[in-house]
Amino acid sequence: MKRVKKEPDKRGKSDRSILSIGEKLAKLFELPPDLFGNRPKVTAVGRGEVLIENFKGIMDFEEGMVRINTNNGVIKITGSGITIREITSEAIIIGGKISNIDYDA
Amino acid sequence: MTLMFLVHLWNYIRGYVIIIAKGDGIERFINICTRRQILLWDIARKDSDSVVMKASLRGFMLMRPAARKSGCRVRIIKKCGLPFFLHRFRRRRGFKVGLLFFAVLIVLFTSMIWEIEIRGCSRNVAQQIMKVLDDRDIGKGSFKIGLDPNRIAADILLNVDDVAWAGVQIQGVKMTISVQNIIPRPEVVDEDQYCSLVAERDGLITKIEVLAGTLKVKEGDTVTKGQLLVSGRLESQYPEFGTKNVHALGKITARTWYDIRVPLSYEHTKRIRTGRTHENTYIRILNMKIGLFGNRNAFDLYDSVSYDRTVSGPFNSEFPIGLTVEKQYEVTEKKVKLTAEEAEALALENARLALSKELSPDCRVLDERVNILKSETGDTCLELILECEEDIAGKEPLGGD
Repeated sequence: MKRVKKEPDKRGKSDRSILSIGEKLAKLFELPPDLFGNRPKVTAVGRGEVLIENFKGIMDFEEGMVRINTNNGVIKITGSGITIREITSEAIIIGGKISNIDYDA
Repeated sequence: MTLMFLVHLWNYIRGYVIIIAKGDGIERFINICTRRQILLWDIARKDSDSVVMKASLRGFMLMRPAARKSGCRVRIIKKCGLPFFLHRFRRRRGFKVGLLFFAVLIVLFTSMIWEIEIRGCSRNVAQQIMKVLDDRDIGKGSFKIGLDPNRIAADILLNVDDVAWAGVQIQGVKMTISVQNIIPRPEVVDEDQYCSLVAERDGLITKIEVLAGTLKVKEGDTVTKGQLLVSGRLESQYPEFGTKNVHALGKITARTWYDIRVPLSYEHTKRIRTGRTHENTYIRILNMKIGLFGNRNAFDLYDSVSYDRTVSGPFNSEFPIGLTVEKQYEVTEKKVKLTAEEAEALALENARLALSKELSPDCRVLDERVNILKSETGDTCLELILECEEDIAGKEPLGGD
């Protein structure tokens, strides 16, 4: 709990991205970074489907646009015929003809 | 992706609904559903305030509080999946009975043997194996339950000669029997078993090959049955050395004669078809024959010919269902006078048949002579003489030493 409290200080002092202990360890032992931590993992194969793991929830779902809240900010996906193919608590699959994947949108 | 397919198949089996959600807080509604482990899929915006999505039946039941919290109104557009599909048939009893009947038939038929394959042996051995199976009532249509492959294999081993190993495998509806033949043991000559060679039948010696023993006959000699050909006792030139006994070996080829007399008869009963026929039809299921109406024995005297028609399936397979048609031809017996040539031909045929049973298997027929004999009483006979060549040497143990 202490460490969690410290984190805001760190952010203030350095520009470096915040890493949890798990992520630091993962970096040290050269393990894949998505094994630890809760940063979003975005997988896009072709442009018909985007899979986002470790998301918090959807913020907006409009015709041709979906905004997804994650620990690293909001990811906005735009395109034509955007649908949510599948949504569970771990992953969301966005389908449709995707034209943009925007972070900080 | 394959996993997703399985999930969708599962959803289809469990049943799902296509729903339309209306309201401002649709995103909130989806998030709450997600958090409550309600699986949603194929979510698409319909217009500015409504969204179409699919949810499992269970999920739809749990959806109410989420909808109330987010202020959405949820309505079902369509019910899909197996439960709804079957729901349509709930009143139709015949359908249910048929479904049950079908399931029972499938279970019944898949628990039977439909095909038996015997591998690795000659036709002769295969027939013996089939006989063993028949004795135990194992065949097409017997149930797999209660069949013990090891037991069948053991039965085959015990009851069929020349089988060194038998393996029985039941795969699905097919029984495969693999057999390994015994390699015949070579004939072993026990050289301590002293014996002589004697003639097994009368004959004229044409060729002599002796491997062991003292030859007592020469080429061109006429021998009678039981005559000593090759002695197993070797006499020394000098009497003081005594005699030595051996196991006589050799091949004495001789010309032999076989003869038979067959009385000639000039009368012969002949079966003549009258031209009237009758057909009996049976339905054959497995080995059961079910006769149709109108089956009878139509005539007092008849020849019958029956043939099977089998329903054939794909890949050269045969269904165990078919028709057996028995055709009866009415016949009359008629005594016919034969001419001399016809009578002789008939008698010759009979004589050949009778003689062929007497000939030893390794004999070679060289010549055939036919005589017509007339006895004092007036009966006529046909005499058939066969001149053959064969090995007449037979073993006889050497006694007394």
